Amino acid sequence: MAEASQTQTMATSSSGLTFKLHPLVIVNISDHHTRVKSQSQPPPHTCHQQDNSSSSSSSTNTVAANGSNRVFGCVIGVQRGRTVEIFNSFELLYDPVTNSLDRGFLEKKQELYKKVFPNFYVLGWYSTGADAEESDMQIHKALMDINESPVYVLLNPLINHSQKDLPVTIYESEMHVIDGIPQLIFVRSSYTIETVEAERISVDHVAHLKPSDGGSAATQLAAHLTGIHSAIKMLNSRIRVLHHYLNAMQNGEIPVENSLLRQVSSLLRRLPAIESQKFQDDFLMEYNDTLLISYLAMFTDCSSTMNDLVDKINVAYERVSRRGGRTAFI
Amino acid sequence: MDIEQKQEEHINHFVNQASNLDGPSLVTVINDAISHPSLFAFSEILSLPNVTQLQGTEYSRYIDLLQMFAYGTWSEYKSNASNLPPLAPDQALKLKQLTVLTLAETNKVLPYDGLMQELDVLNVRELEDFLINECMYVGIVRGKLDQLRRCFQVQFAAGRDLRPGQLGSMIHTLSNWLSTSDNLLITIQDKIKWADRMSEQDKKHKKEAEEKLEEAKKTLSLKSHTMSRGGLTYEAMRMRRCSPNLVE
Repeated sequence: MAEASQTQTMATSSSGLTFKLHPLVIVNISDHHTRVKSQSQPPPHTCHQQDNSSSSSSSTNTVAANGSNRVFGCVIGVQRGRTVEIFNSFELLYDPVTNSLDRGFLEKKQELYKKVFPNFYVLGWYSTGADAEESDMQIHKALMDINESPVYVLLNPLINHSQKDLPVTIYESEMHVIDGIPQLIFVRSSYTIETVEAERISVDHVAHLKPSDGGSAATQLAAHLTGIHSAIKMLNSRIRVLHHYLNAMQNGEIPVENSLLRQVSSLLRRLPAIESQKFQDDFLMEYNDTLLISYLAMFTDCSSTMNDLVDKINVAYERVSRRGGRTAFI
Repeated sequence: MDIEQKQEEHINHFVNQASNLDGPSLVTVINDAISHPSLFAFSEILSLPNVTQLQGTEYSRYIDLLQMFAYGTWSEYKSNASNLPPLAPDQALKLKQLTVLTLAETNKVLPYDGLMQELDVLNVRELEDFLINECMYVGIVRGKLDQLRRCFQVQFAAGRDLRPGQLGSMIHTLSNWLSTSDNLLITIQDKIKWADRMSEQDKKHKKEAEEKLEEAKKTLSLKSHTMSRGGLTYEAMRMRRCSPNLVE
Protein backbone atom coordinates (compact mmCIF):
# COMPACT_ATOMS: atom_id res chain seq x y z
CA MET A 1 0.00 0.00 0.00
CA ALA A 2 2.86 2.36 0.78
CA GLU A 3 4.45 2.13 -2.66
CA ALA A 4 1.03 2.30 -4.30
CA SER A 5 0.34 5.61 -2.61
CA GLN A 6 3.60 7.03 -3.91
CA THR A 7 2.92 6.16 -7.51
CA GLN A 8 -0.72 7.06 -7.16
CA THR A 9 -0.62 10.55 -8.53
CA MET A 10 2.43 10.56 -10.75
CA ALA A 11 1.05 9.14 -13.95
CA THR A 12 -0.80 11.25 -16.47
CA SER A 13 -4.08 10.24 -17.98
CA SER A 14 -4.13 8.34 -21.23
CA SER A 15 -7.83 8.09 -21.71
CA GLY A 16 -7.93 10.96 -24.19
CA LEU A 17 -10.80 12.74 -22.53
CA THR A 18 -10.73 16.53 -22.59
CA PHE A 19 -11.97 18.20 -19.45
CA LYS A 20 -13.57 21.58 -19.33
CA LEU A 21 -14.04 23.15 -15.95
CA HIS A 22 -16.34 26.05 -15.24
CA PRO A 23 -15.28 28.69 -12.70
CA LEU A 24 -18.54 28.17 -10.83
CA VAL A 25 -17.27 24.79 -9.62
CA ILE A 26 -14.02 26.26 -8.33
CA VAL A 27 -15.86 29.06 -6.55
CA ASN A 28 -18.33 26.56 -5.05
CA ILE A 29 -15.58 24.32 -3.69
CA SER A 30 -13.63 27.19 -2.21
CA ASP A 31 -16.82 28.65 -0.73
CA HIS A 32 -17.69 25.31 0.88
CA HIS A 33 -14.22 25.04 2.33
CA THR A 34 -14.22 28.60 3.66
CA ARG A 35 -17.64 28.21 5.22
CA VAL A 36 -16.74 25.03 7.04
CA LYS A 37 -13.45 26.52 8.16
CA SER A 38 -15.03 29.67 9.54
CA GLN A 39 -17.89 27.78 11.18
CA SER A 40 -15.53 25.52 13.05
CA GLN A 41 -13.63 28.49 14.42
CA PRO A 42 -16.18 30.86 15.88
CA PRO A 43 -15.14 34.46 16.76
CA PRO A 44 -13.30 34.99 20.09
CA HIS A 45 -16.21 36.42 22.09
CA THR A 46 -17.99 33.08 21.98
CA CYS A 47 -14.90 31.21 23.02
CA HIS A 48 -16.63 29.45 25.91
CA GLN A 49 -18.86 27.73 23.36
CA GLN A 50 -15.89 26.96 21.19
CA ASP A 51 -15.03 23.69 22.87
CA ASN A 52 -18.50 22.30 22.23
CA SER A 53 -18.60 23.35 18.60
CA SER A 54 -15.05 22.27 17.80
CA SER A 55 -15.58 18.86 19.31
CA SER A 56 -18.81 18.37 17.40
CA SER A 57 -17.31 19.58 14.14
CA SER A 58 -14.27 17.36 14.42
CA SER A 59 -16.44 14.32 14.74
CA THR A 60 -18.21 15.03 11.49
CA ASN A 61 -15.25 16.19 9.45
CA THR A 62 -11.98 14.57 8.61
CA VAL A 63 -9.01 16.62 9.60
CA ALA A 64 -6.35 16.67 6.96
CA ALA A 65 -2.67 16.64 7.76
CA ASN A 66 -2.39 20.41 7.79
CA GLY A 67 -5.16 20.74 10.36
CA SER A 68 -7.92 22.23 8.20
CA ASN A 69 -10.99 20.20 7.48
CA ARG A 70 -11.60 18.44 4.24
CA VAL A 71 -14.86 19.05 2.49
CA PHE A 72 -16.54 16.79 -0.01
CA GLY A 73 -19.09 17.12 -2.68
CA CYS A 74 -20.30 16.03 -6.04
CA VAL A 75 -19.68 17.57 -9.46
CA ILE A 76 -22.21 17.48 -12.23
CA GLY A 77 -22.06 18.32 -15.88
CA VAL A 78 -22.35 17.03 -19.39
CA GLN A 79 -20.31 14.47 -21.25
CA ARG A 80 -20.44 14.73 -25.02
CA GLY A 81 -18.28 12.20 -26.75
CA ARG A 82 -14.72 12.74 -25.59
CA THR A 83 -15.37 16.08 -23.92
CA VAL A 84 -16.35 16.22 -20.30
CA GLU A 85 -17.71 19.59 -19.27
CA ILE A 86 -18.15 20.18 -15.55
CA PHE A 87 -20.74 22.85 -14.94
CA ASN A 88 -21.82 22.78 -11.33
CA SER A 89 -21.26 21.14 -7.99
CA PHE A 90 -23.01 20.57 -4.69
CA GLU A 91 -21.91 19.55 -1.22
CA LEU A 92 -22.13 16.13 0.35
CA LEU A 93 -21.86 14.91 3.85
CA TYR A 94 -18.91 12.70 4.59
CA ASP A 95 -19.15 9.90 7.08
CA PRO A 96 -15.72 9.24 8.60
CA VAL A 97 -16.89 6.05 10.22
CA THR A 98 -17.60 4.20 7.03
CA ASN A 99 -15.30 6.44 4.95
CA SER A 100 -17.98 7.07 2.40
CA LEU A 101 -20.29 9.80 1.22
CA ASP A 102 -23.91 9.98 2.25
CA ARG A 103 -25.63 8.06 -0.51
CA GLY A 104 -29.24 8.89 0.23
CA PHE A 105 -28.52 12.62 0.25
CA LEU A 106 -26.62 12.37 -3.01
CA GLU A 107 -29.50 10.68 -4.72
CA LYS A 108 -32.03 13.15 -3.40
CA LYS A 109 -29.90 16.07 -4.56
CA GLN A 110 -29.35 14.44 -7.90
CA GLU A 111 -33.10 14.17 -8.43
CA LEU A 112 -33.59 17.83 -7.57
CA TYR A 113 -30.87 18.93 -9.94
CA LYS A 114 -32.26 16.72 -12.66
CA LYS A 115 -35.51 18.65 -12.53
CA VAL A 116 -33.79 21.96 -13.08
CA PHE A 117 -31.01 20.79 -15.40
CA PRO A 118 -32.18 17.68 -17.18
CA ASN A 119 -28.94 17.41 -19.14
CA PHE A 120 -26.58 17.25 -16.22
CA TYR A 121 -25.26 13.98 -14.93
CA VAL A 122 -23.16 13.16 -11.93
CA LEU A 123 -19.66 13.24 -13.35
CA GLY A 124 -17.67 12.71 -10.20
CA TRP A 125 -16.79 14.22 -6.89
CA TYR A 126 -14.55 16.85 -5.35
CA SER A 127 -12.54 17.38 -2.23
CA THR A 128 -9.98 19.74 -0.76
CA GLY A 129 -6.47 18.94 0.25
CA ALA A 130 -2.93 19.07 -0.98
CA ASP A 131 -2.78 15.70 -2.69
CA ALA A 132 -4.96 12.72 -3.41
CA GLU A 133 -5.09 10.23 -0.58
CA GLU A 134 -5.54 6.51 -0.11
CA SER A 135 -9.02 6.81 1.34
CA ASP A 136 -10.13 8.77 -1.69
CA MET A 137 -9.99 5.64 -3.82
CA GLN A 138 -12.71 4.08 -1.72
CA ILE A 139 -15.02 7.00 -2.29
CA HIS A 140 -14.08 6.94 -5.94
CA LYS A 141 -15.01 3.28 -6.24
CA ALA A 142 -18.28 3.88 -4.45
CA LEU A 143 -19.24 6.43 -7.07
CA MET A 144 -18.38 4.12 -9.90
CA ASP A 145 -21.84 2.65 -9.96
CA ILE A 146 -23.35 6.01 -10.83
CA ASN A 147 -20.75 6.91 -13.42
CA GLU A 148 -18.42 4.23 -14.72
CA SER A 149 -15.43 6.51 -14.72
CA PRO A 150 -15.91 9.37 -12.28
CA VAL A 151 -13.59 12.34 -12.09
CA TYR A 152 -12.01 13.55 -8.91
CA VAL A 153 -11.52 17.31 -8.61
CA LEU A 154 -9.05 18.33 -5.93
CA LEU A 155 -8.64 21.90 -4.70
CA ASN A 156 -5.64 22.85 -2.64
CA PRO A 157 -6.80 25.50 -0.18
CA LEU A 158 -3.30 26.53 0.87
CA ILE A 159 -2.42 29.85 -0.67
CA ASN A 160 0.85 29.61 -2.52
CA HIS A 161 1.97 33.00 -3.77
CA SER A 162 4.65 31.63 -6.03
CA GLN A 163 2.28 29.34 -7.85
CA LYS A 164 0.92 30.98 -10.94
CA ASP A 165 -1.81 28.58 -12.02
CA LEU A 166 -4.91 27.38 -10.26
CA PRO A 167 -4.47 24.92 -7.35
CA VAL A 168 -7.07 22.64 -8.90
CA THR A 169 -6.21 19.19 -10.22
CA ILE A 170 -8.46 16.72 -11.93
CA TYR A 171 -7.83 13.03 -11.45
CA GLU A 172 -9.21 10.08 -13.30
CA SER A 173 -9.00 6.46 -12.28
CA GLU A 174 -7.18 3.95 -14.38
CA MET A 175 -6.38 0.32 -13.99
CA HIS A 176 -2.63 -0.09 -13.83
CA VAL A 177 -0.61 -3.16 -13.09
CA ILE A 178 1.67 -2.55 -10.13
CA ASP A 179 3.81 -5.37 -8.78
CA GLY A 180 1.75 -7.82 -10.76
CA ILE A 181 -1.53 -6.74 -9.18
CA PRO A 182 -3.96 -4.76 -11.29
CA GLN A 183 -4.95 -1.77 -9.22
CA LEU A 184 -7.03 1.27 -9.67
CA ILE A 185 -4.93 4.37 -9.29
CA PHE A 186 -5.47 8.07 -9.78
CA VAL A 187 -3.96 9.67 -12.82
CA ARG A 188 -3.78 13.37 -13.44
CA SER A 189 -5.57 14.93 -16.36
CA SER A 190 -5.22 18.30 -17.88
CA TYR A 191 -8.20 20.58 -18.16
CA THR A 192 -9.23 23.89 -19.59
CA ILE A 193 -11.40 26.53 -18.08
CA GLU A 194 -14.55 27.30 -19.95
CA THR A 195 -16.75 30.26 -19.04
CA VAL A 196 -20.24 31.39 -19.79
CA GLU A 197 -20.63 35.15 -20.16
CA ALA A 198 -22.24 35.46 -16.73
CA GLU A 199 -19.35 33.63 -15.12
CA ARG A 200 -16.81 35.77 -16.90
CA ILE A 201 -18.45 38.98 -15.70
CA SER A 202 -18.64 37.86 -12.09
CA VAL A 203 -15.06 36.58 -11.98
CA ASP A 204 -13.88 39.81 -13.58
CA HIS A 205 -15.82 41.80 -11.00
CA VAL A 206 -14.32 39.90 -8.09
CA ALA A 207 -10.84 40.15 -9.53
CA HIS A 208 -11.08 43.92 -9.75
CA LEU A 209 -12.47 44.41 -6.27
CA LYS A 210 -9.10 44.10 -4.68
CA PRO A 211 -5.71 44.19 -6.38
CA SER A 212 -4.03 40.85 -6.25
CA ASP A 213 -1.17 41.84 -4.02
CA GLY A 214 -2.77 44.77 -2.22
CA GLY A 215 -0.77 47.26 -4.24
CA SER A 216 -0.84 50.97 -3.71
CA ALA A 217 -2.91 53.47 -5.65
CA ALA A 218 -0.15 53.76 -8.23
CA THR A 219 -0.22 50.08 -9.10
CA GLN A 220 -4.00 50.14 -9.37
CA LEU A 221 -3.78 53.11 -11.70
CA ALA A 222 -1.08 51.40 -13.71
CA ALA A 223 -3.15 48.23 -13.96
CA HIS A 224 -6.21 50.15 -15.10
CA LEU A 225 -4.22 52.11 -17.66
CA THR A 226 -2.58 48.95 -18.93
CA GLY A 227 -6.01 47.47 -19.54
CA ILE A 228 -7.09 50.50 -21.54
CA HIS A 229 -3.78 50.48 -23.39
CA SER A 230 -4.18 46.92 -24.60
CA ALA A 231 -7.78 47.55 -25.66
CA ILE A 232 -6.79 50.57 -27.73
CA LYS A 233 -3.87 48.68 -29.20
CA MET A 234 -6.21 46.01 -30.47
CA LEU A 235 -8.51 48.63 -31.96
CA ASN A 236 -5.49 50.22 -33.58
CA SER A 237 -4.39 47.01 -35.25
CA ARG A 238 -7.88 46.39 -36.62
CA ILE A 239 -8.13 49.89 -38.04
CA ARG A 240 -4.73 49.42 -39.61
CA VAL A 241 -6.02 46.33 -41.40
CA LEU A 242 -8.99 48.28 -42.74
CA HIS A 243 -6.73 51.11 -43.82
CA HIS A 244 -4.44 48.75 -45.67
CA TYR A 245 -7.42 47.09 -47.31
CA LEU A 246 -8.87 50.38 -48.52
CA ASN A 247 -5.53 51.49 -49.84
CA ALA A 248 -5.17 48.31 -51.79
CA MET A 249 -8.66 48.77 -53.15
CA GLN A 250 -7.84 52.27 -54.24
CA ASN A 251 -4.67 51.17 -55.98
CA GLY A 252 -6.68 48.61 -57.81
CA GLU A 253 -5.00 45.53 -56.40
CA ILE A 254 -8.30 44.19 -55.12
CA PRO A 255 -11.62 44.33 -56.94
CA VAL A 256 -13.92 46.94 -55.55
CA GLU A 257 -16.43 45.47 -53.16
CA ASN A 258 -19.28 47.84 -52.64
CA SER A 259 -21.00 46.28 -49.69
CA LEU A 260 -17.81 46.41 -47.66
CA LEU A 261 -17.19 50.00 -48.64
CA ARG A 262 -20.65 50.90 -47.51
CA GLN A 263 -20.07 49.28 -44.16
CA VAL A 264 -16.77 51.06 -43.71
CA SER A 265 -18.34 54.38 -44.57
CA SER A 266 -21.10 53.82 -42.05
CA LEU A 267 -18.45 52.95 -39.48
CA LEU A 268 -16.51 56.11 -40.18
CA ARG A 269 -19.64 58.13 -39.75
CA ARG A 270 -19.74 57.10 -36.13
CA LEU A 271 -16.63 59.19 -35.58
CA PRO A 272 -16.13 61.46 -33.74
CA ALA A 273 -17.63 59.26 -31.09
CA ILE A 274 -18.43 61.90 -28.54
CA GLU A 275 -18.23 65.52 -29.38
CA SER A 276 -21.41 67.36 -28.57
CA GLN A 277 -21.44 70.40 -26.38
CA LYS A 278 -23.39 68.57 -23.73
CA PHE A 279 -20.67 65.99 -23.38
CA GLN A 280 -18.03 68.67 -22.91
CA ASP A 281 -20.07 70.31 -20.19
CA ASP A 282 -20.73 67.05 -18.34
CA PHE A 283 -17.15 65.92 -18.67
CA LEU A 284 -15.69 69.18 -17.38
CA MET A 285 -18.14 69.22 -14.51
CA GLU A 286 -17.18 65.74 -13.42
CA TYR A 287 -13.49 66.50 -13.84
CA ASN A 288 -13.80 69.61 -11.69
CA ASP A 289 -15.77 67.75 -9.06
CA THR A 290 -13.12 65.06 -8.78
CA LEU A 291 -10.33 67.62 -8.53
CA LEU A 292 -12.24 69.53 -5.86
CA ILE A 293 -12.85 66.43 -3.82
CA SER A 294 -9.21 65.36 -3.91
CA TYR A 295 -8.20 68.92 -2.98
CA LEU A 296 -10.62 68.84 -0.06
CA ALA A 297 -9.32 65.46 1.05
CA MET A 298 -5.79 66.76 0.92
CA PHE A 299 -6.79 69.76 3.01
CA THR A 300 -8.47 67.59 5.61
CA ASP A 301 -5.42 65.37 5.77
CA CYS A 302 -3.12 68.34 6.19
CA SER A 303 -5.21 69.92 8.89
CA SER A 304 -5.38 66.69 10.87
CA THR A 305 -1.60 66.29 10.61
CA MET A 306 -1.24 69.86 11.74
CA ASN A 307 -3.50 69.16 14.70
CA ASP A 308 -1.39 66.19 15.69
CA LEU A 309 1.76 68.26 15.46
CA VAL A 310 0.28 70.97 17.65
CA ASP A 311 -0.76 68.41 20.23
CA LYS A 312 2.70 66.92 20.25
CA ILE A 313 4.37 70.29 20.69
CA ASN A 314 2.01 71.14 23.49
CA VAL A 315 2.81 67.93 25.25
CA ALA A 316 6.52 68.36 24.69
CA TYR A 317 6.91 71.94 25.82
CA GLU A 318 4.38 72.32 28.58
CA ARG A 319 4.89 75.14 30.99
CA VAL A 320 3.91 73.09 33.95
CA SER A 321 6.50 70.36 34.05
CA ARG A 322 8.54 70.88 37.16
CA ARG A 323 8.72 67.28 38.19
CA GLY A 324 12.14 66.71 39.59
CA GLY A 325 13.35 70.06 38.28
CA ARG A 326 13.86 68.72 34.82
CA THR A 327 11.83 69.38 31.72
CA ALA A 328 10.77 66.47 29.64
CA PHE A 329 12.93 66.65 26.55
CA ILE A 330 10.70 64.65 24.28
CA MET B 1 -24.13 45.76 -40.54
CA ASP B 2 -27.23 43.59 -40.63
CA ILE B 3 -28.82 45.94 -43.10
CA GLU B 4 -26.09 44.92 -45.49
CA GLN B 5 -26.86 41.27 -45.00
CA LYS B 6 -30.53 41.91 -45.57
CA GLN B 7 -29.78 43.73 -48.77
CA GLU B 8 -27.38 41.19 -50.15
CA GLU B 9 -29.94 38.78 -51.48
CA HIS B 10 -32.00 41.55 -53.01
CA ILE B 11 -28.93 42.97 -54.69
CA ASN B 12 -28.00 39.59 -56.10
CA HIS B 13 -31.54 39.05 -57.29
CA PHE B 14 -31.69 42.33 -59.13
CA VAL B 15 -28.23 41.99 -60.57
CA ASN B 16 -29.14 38.59 -61.95
CA GLN B 17 -32.33 39.93 -63.41
CA ALA B 18 -30.72 42.99 -64.93
CA SER B 19 -27.72 41.31 -66.46
CA ASN B 20 -29.85 39.33 -68.85
CA LEU B 21 -32.17 42.06 -69.99
CA ASP B 22 -31.97 45.09 -72.15
CA GLY B 23 -33.85 48.21 -73.10
CA PRO B 24 -37.35 48.74 -71.74
CA SER B 25 -37.36 45.59 -69.64
CA LEU B 26 -34.22 46.90 -67.98
CA VAL B 27 -36.12 50.05 -67.18
CA THR B 28 -38.77 48.02 -65.41
CA VAL B 29 -36.09 46.24 -63.42
CA ILE B 30 -34.62 49.57 -62.43
CA ASN B 31 -38.00 50.80 -61.33
CA ASP B 32 -38.54 47.65 -59.31
CA ALA B 33 -35.18 48.04 -57.67
CA ILE B 34 -35.87 51.64 -56.75
CA SER B 35 -39.25 50.89 -55.22
CA HIS B 36 -38.13 47.83 -53.29
CA PRO B 37 -38.59 48.70 -49.60
CA SER B 38 -35.42 47.07 -48.31
CA LEU B 39 -32.96 47.96 -51.00
CA PHE B 40 -30.74 50.95 -50.36
CA ALA B 41 -27.67 50.11 -52.33
CA PHE B 42 -27.57 50.63 -56.04
CA SER B 43 -23.96 50.78 -57.06
CA GLU B 44 -23.86 47.10 -57.99
CA ILE B 45 -26.69 47.60 -60.43
CA LEU B 46 -25.11 50.79 -61.70
CA SER B 47 -21.88 49.06 -62.48
CA LEU B 48 -23.49 46.45 -64.72
CA PRO B 49 -22.48 46.94 -68.36
CA ASN B 50 -26.10 46.65 -69.64
CA VAL B 51 -27.08 49.49 -67.43
CA THR B 52 -24.25 51.80 -68.44
CA GLN B 53 -25.15 51.11 -72.06
CA LEU B 54 -28.46 52.78 -71.47
CA GLN B 55 -26.63 56.04 -70.99
CA GLY B 56 -26.83 57.35 -74.52
CA THR B 57 -30.28 56.05 -75.40
CA GLU B 58 -33.68 57.50 -74.70
CA TYR B 59 -33.70 55.72 -71.39
CA SER B 60 -30.76 57.72 -70.08
CA ARG B 61 -33.19 59.47 -67.78
CA TYR B 62 -33.48 56.25 -65.86
CA ILE B 63 -29.74 56.03 -65.49
CA ASP B 64 -29.77 59.52 -64.03
CA LEU B 65 -32.60 58.49 -61.75
CA LEU B 66 -30.65 55.47 -60.58
CA GLN B 67 -27.65 57.66 -59.95
CA MET B 68 -29.86 60.07 -58.04
CA PHE B 69 -30.96 57.20 -55.85
CA ALA B 70 -27.41 56.05 -55.39
CA TYR B 71 -25.86 59.40 -54.52
CA GLY B 72 -28.38 62.20 -54.40
CA THR B 73 -30.93 63.68 -52.07
CA TRP B 74 -34.55 64.75 -52.22
CA SER B 75 -33.73 68.42 -52.77
CA GLU B 76 -31.46 67.53 -55.68
CA TYR B 77 -34.30 65.58 -57.19
CA LYS B 78 -36.66 68.50 -56.81
CA SER B 79 -34.28 70.90 -58.52
CA ASN B 80 -33.79 68.44 -61.35
CA ALA B 81 -37.36 67.19 -61.59
CA SER B 82 -37.81 68.29 -65.16
CA ASN B 83 -35.12 66.01 -66.47
CA LEU B 84 -36.06 62.96 -64.50
CA PRO B 85 -39.05 60.65 -64.72
CA PRO B 86 -41.76 61.13 -62.11
CA LEU B 87 -41.54 59.20 -58.87
CA ALA B 88 -44.08 56.85 -57.44
CA PRO B 89 -44.90 57.49 -53.75
CA ASP B 90 -42.81 54.59 -52.41
CA GLN B 91 -39.91 55.71 -54.54
CA ALA B 92 -40.23 59.19 -53.12
CA LEU B 93 -40.23 57.72 -49.65
CA LYS B 94 -37.11 55.76 -50.47
CA LEU B 95 -35.38 58.89 -51.68
CA LYS B 96 -36.27 60.69 -48.47
CA GLN B 97 -34.81 57.86 -46.41
CA LEU B 98 -31.65 58.07 -48.44
CA THR B 99 -31.59 61.81 -47.83
CA VAL B 100 -31.54 61.21 -44.10
CA LEU B 101 -28.58 58.91 -44.59
CA THR B 102 -26.72 61.56 -46.54
CA LEU B 103 -27.41 64.18 -43.91
CA ALA B 104 -26.14 61.83 -41.26
CA GLU B 105 -22.89 61.61 -43.20
CA THR B 106 -21.79 65.08 -42.30
CA ASN B 107 -23.33 65.77 -38.91
CA LYS B 108 -24.01 63.58 -35.98
CA VAL B 109 -26.60 65.93 -34.56
CA LEU B 110 -29.31 66.82 -37.06
CA PRO B 111 -31.57 69.73 -36.10
CA TYR B 112 -35.26 69.27 -36.72
CA ASP B 113 -35.52 72.44 -38.79
CA GLY B 114 -32.88 71.31 -41.23
CA LEU B 115 -34.51 67.92 -41.51
CA MET B 116 -37.94 69.40 -42.08
CA GLN B 117 -36.59 71.58 -44.82
CA GLU B 118 -34.72 68.82 -46.57
CA LEU B 119 -37.56 66.37 -46.42
CA ASP B 120 -40.41 68.78 -47.17
CA VAL B 121 -42.17 67.95 -43.97
CA LEU B 122 -44.28 70.61 -42.31
CA ASN B 123 -44.49 69.68 -38.67
CA VAL B 124 -42.44 67.98 -36.04
CA ARG B 125 -44.97 65.21 -35.48
CA GLU B 126 -44.79 64.11 -39.10
CA LEU B 127 -41.01 64.33 -39.05
CA GLU B 128 -40.76 62.19 -35.96
CA ASP B 129 -43.19 59.65 -37.37
CA PHE B 130 -41.15 59.47 -40.53
CA LEU B 131 -37.92 59.06 -38.63
CA ILE B 132 -39.28 56.42 -36.33
CA ASN B 133 -41.29 54.34 -38.75
CA GLU B 134 -39.38 54.66 -41.94
CA CYS B 135 -35.84 55.01 -40.74
CA MET B 136 -35.38 53.38 -37.35
CA TYR B 137 -37.70 50.43 -37.67
CA VAL B 138 -36.28 49.63 -41.09
CA GLY B 139 -32.85 49.69 -39.46
CA ILE B 140 -30.95 52.15 -41.56
CA VAL B 141 -30.40 54.59 -38.72
CA ARG B 142 -30.14 54.28 -34.97
CA GLY B 143 -30.19 57.27 -32.70
CA LYS B 144 -31.97 59.38 -30.16
CA LEU B 145 -34.66 61.96 -30.76
CA ASP B 146 -34.12 64.95 -28.52
CA GLN B 147 -37.34 66.88 -28.55
CA LEU B 148 -36.29 69.55 -26.07
CA ARG B 149 -33.31 70.56 -28.12
CA ARG B 150 -35.15 69.73 -31.34
CA CYS B 151 -32.46 67.58 -32.77
CA PHE B 152 -31.85 64.01 -33.79
CA GLN B 153 -28.64 62.46 -32.50
CA VAL B 154 -27.43 59.80 -34.86
CA GLN B 155 -25.54 56.89 -33.41
CA PHE B 156 -25.46 54.66 -36.41
CA ALA B 157 -26.33 55.23 -40.04
CA ALA B 158 -26.10 52.66 -42.80
CA GLY B 159 -23.71 53.44 -45.59
CA ARG B 160 -24.82 54.80 -48.91
CA ASP B 161 -23.15 54.05 -52.18
CA LEU B 162 -19.83 55.70 -52.54
CA ARG B 163 -19.17 58.32 -55.11
CA PRO B 164 -15.93 57.64 -56.91
CA GLY B 165 -14.07 60.36 -55.03
CA GLN B 166 -15.16 59.40 -51.59
CA LEU B 167 -12.77 56.51 -51.22
CA GLY B 168 -9.86 58.90 -50.89
CA SER B 169 -11.50 60.85 -48.10
CA MET B 170 -12.34 57.62 -46.29
CA ILE B 171 -8.72 56.56 -46.39
CA HIS B 172 -7.74 59.96 -45.11
CA THR B 173 -10.18 59.65 -42.19
CA LEU B 174 -8.87 56.21 -41.37
CA SER B 175 -5.28 57.40 -41.31
CA ASN B 176 -6.26 60.27 -39.02
CA TRP B 177 -7.95 57.80 -36.71
CA LEU B 178 -4.84 55.64 -36.73
CA SER B 179 -2.53 58.50 -35.85
CA THR B 180 -4.85 59.66 -33.05
CA SER B 181 -4.95 56.23 -31.50
CA ASP B 182 -1.16 55.92 -31.80
CA ASN B 183 -0.74 59.20 -29.98
CA LEU B 184 -3.18 58.07 -27.35
CA LEU B 185 -1.23 54.85 -26.82
CA ILE B 186 1.98 56.81 -26.33
CA THR B 187 0.25 59.16 -23.88
CA ILE B 188 -1.10 56.24 -21.85
CA GLN B 189 2.33 54.66 -21.68
CA ASP B 190 3.80 57.92 -20.45
CA LYS B 191 1.09 58.14 -17.81
CA ILE B 192 1.86 54.63 -16.61
CA LYS B 193 5.54 55.49 -16.34
CA TRP B 194 4.69 58.68 -14.52
CA ALA B 195 2.53 56.80 -12.03
CA ASP B 196 5.33 54.32 -11.36
CA ARG B 197 7.87 57.11 -11.00
CA MET B 198 5.69 59.00 -8.56
CA SER B 199 5.14 55.94 -6.43
CA GLU B 200 8.91 55.29 -6.39
CA GLN B 201 9.58 58.84 -5.28
CA ASP B 202 6.91 58.58 -2.64
CA LYS B 203 8.44 55.40 -1.23
CA LYS B 204 11.89 56.95 -1.21
CA HIS B 205 10.60 60.01 0.58
CA LYS B 206 8.89 57.89 3.21
CA LYS B 207 12.03 55.86 3.75
CA GLU B 208 14.14 58.98 4.15
CA ALA B 209 11.68 60.46 6.63
CA GLU B 210 11.71 57.26 8.66
CA GLU B 211 15.50 57.14 8.64
CA LYS B 212 15.64 60.70 9.92
CA LEU B 213 13.17 59.76 12.63
CA GLU B 214 15.33 56.81 13.67
CA GLU B 215 18.42 58.97 13.77
CA ALA B 216 16.69 61.60 15.84
CA LYS B 217 15.49 58.95 18.25
CA LYS B 218 19.02 57.56 18.59
CA THR B 219 20.65 60.93 19.22
CA LEU B 220 18.00 61.77 21.78
CA SER B 221 18.44 58.52 23.61
CA LEU B 222 22.14 59.32 23.78
CA LYS B 223 21.37 62.76 25.06
CA SER B 224 19.04 61.41 27.71
CA HIS B 225 21.96 59.25 28.86
CA THR B 226 24.19 62.26 29.25
CA MET B 227 21.38 64.17 30.92
CA SER B 228 20.77 61.57 33.53
CA ARG B 229 24.33 62.09 34.79
CA GLY B 230 23.16 65.25 36.46
CA GLY B 231 22.29 68.82 35.77
CA LEU B 232 20.63 70.24 32.81
CA THR B 233 22.42 70.36 29.53
CA TYR B 234 22.78 73.60 27.69
CA GLU B 235 19.90 72.71 25.35
CA ALA B 236 17.59 71.92 28.21
CA MET B 237 18.25 75.33 29.75
CA ARG B 238 17.58 77.02 26.44
CA MET B 239 14.36 75.01 26.03
CA ARG B 240 13.17 76.14 29.42
CA ARG B 241 13.72 79.73 28.48
CA CYS B 242 12.00 79.65 25.14
CA SER B 243 9.22 77.18 25.96
CA PRO B 244 6.90 79.93 27.31
CA ASN B 245 7.08 81.59 23.86
CA LEU B 246 6.29 78.34 22.08
CA VAL B 247 3.32 77.37 24.20
CA GLU B 248 1.78 80.77 23.49
